[in-house]
Amino acid sequence: MATTSTTPTPLPLPSSSISTPAQSSTTQSSTFTFPTYTHFPPLYTVQPNLQTRARQLDLWSSLILSYTAHHHIFRLSLSTPPADLFTNPPRTRTLKPSDIRIVLDHMALQTPSRIEWLPPSTKGEKMGNTCWVYWKTLAEWADVLYGWVEETGQKGAVLTVYELREGDAVMGREWVGMDEGMLRKVLGVLVKRGKAQVFGQQEGEGVKFF
Amino acid sequence: MASSRRGVGLNAFSNAAISSDQYARHGAALRSTHADALANQLSVFQAALHNFSLTHAKDIRSNPTFRAEFARMCNAIGVDPLAGSNVKGAAGAGGKSVWAKMLGSSVNDFYFELAVRVVEVCRETRSENGGMIALSEVRKRIEKGRGLVGGGMEVTDDDIERALESLEPLGGMFKTTTLGSNKFIRSVPKELNPDQSTVLEVIQILGHVTVSMLQDNLGWEGARAIAVIDDLVADSLVWVDSQAEETEYWSPASMHEGG
Repeated sequence: MATTSTTPTPLPLPSSSISTPAQSSTTQSSTFTFPTYTHFPPLYTVQPNLQTRARQLDLWSSLILSYTAHHHIFRLSLSTPPADLFTNPPRTRTLKPSDIRIVLDHMALQTPSRIEWLPPSTKGEKMGNTCWVYWKTLAEWADVLYGWVEETGQKGAVLTVYELREGDAVMGREWVGMDEGMLRKVLGVLVKRGKAQVFGQQEGEGVKFF
Repeated sequence: MASSRRGVGLNAFSNAAISSDQYARHGAALRSTHADALANQLSVFQAALHNFSLTHAKDIRSNPTFRAEFARMCNAIGVDPLAGSNVKGAAGAGGKSVWAKMLGSSVNDFYFELAVRVVEVCRETRSENGGMIALSEVRKRIEKGRGLVGGGMEVTDDDIERALESLEPLGGMFKTTTLGSNKFIRSVPKELNPDQSTVLEVIQILGHVTVSMLQDNLGWEGARAIAVIDDLVADSLVWVDSQAEETEYWSPASMHEGG
């Protein structure tokens, strides 16, 4: 009964299990309810006290993950962040882009990683300002994808990456809209597990599931 | 009576001695019957209380109003339901845990269990509030449970304070303090100085403070106000909002209340 948990509370992730297409399409259209702490003005100022800041970054991390999961956002860009995510409802406080970077850097260092920076698109820049958001971790995505393969009896079949991303068979599936690069990473996880094999050239690349 | 009739001769002296002796004996007899009756009443009462707690153990555990009434009843007759297991019971007989035996261990267990939850909540939120959390916030979190099936517990503020008292033998790490009109649990053994308490009290009332608010309302020197606030920030008891006209300091207690 009395289990003392010293570990911090796990981040409240939305729908950890595989949601059906019907569910995901309805949640997509409904409005996202922001947690009450988004009304708290200091949330938008990076806290000077490190202990407090750690807590603040966790709150942001959980907010960003549930927001992106709700809206099916796979990629965040610092230059065009979602308008309502980093500004509080009365629009008096905004998390500055440099502070957003602090939050995202924190998420990149979480285990497992919750975001991944993409290399800068223009050569001159040192830091990229776009990242993939893993509201499901790569391992979780791998489970979802493999679950679908099993469910639809396609083990042993060869599918193209294009089919996995945009084919009719995957319509309404959760990963639709995912960047090709991110999907490749998910496939990479499955390859490592010995559950898939990727072959062929960039164009017309094929994946075989075991 | 002996004194009004005042006998004659030497015999009167022994008569007086005999009668006073008889009075004394009668008095002793009366006292002992009285004591017997009281002891009898007490044991009847104990038995009744025992039966009561056994038949209503479920209610005591599950119904907060009932539990509060029960606790108040025990209090009124000088019985501490918690005292049983670690202090010699109020009734004393038998030495150890008379009340624990009488009440079944369910009441004790209830508070110990609750105490564990309170400690959990305090630890979980420590990075957010610096180890200072409103009693009502703790209650809300305990009522919500940990998101597991059947995790929630219906409790009152009173229950939580009792549970905290049961932690006393562990060294009194958890203390309740009153700031403004709210009770807080302090789970970090650092004492607040009077200035810090004052500022926290103001924050409770206004939601936030600024250095100039402290200067205007408390007549403090700027340096004093800044020093106090810096201390509070360092102890992670307040959060900073630098996007207002003047930097504002907020209590994390208002974080989950919205508005």
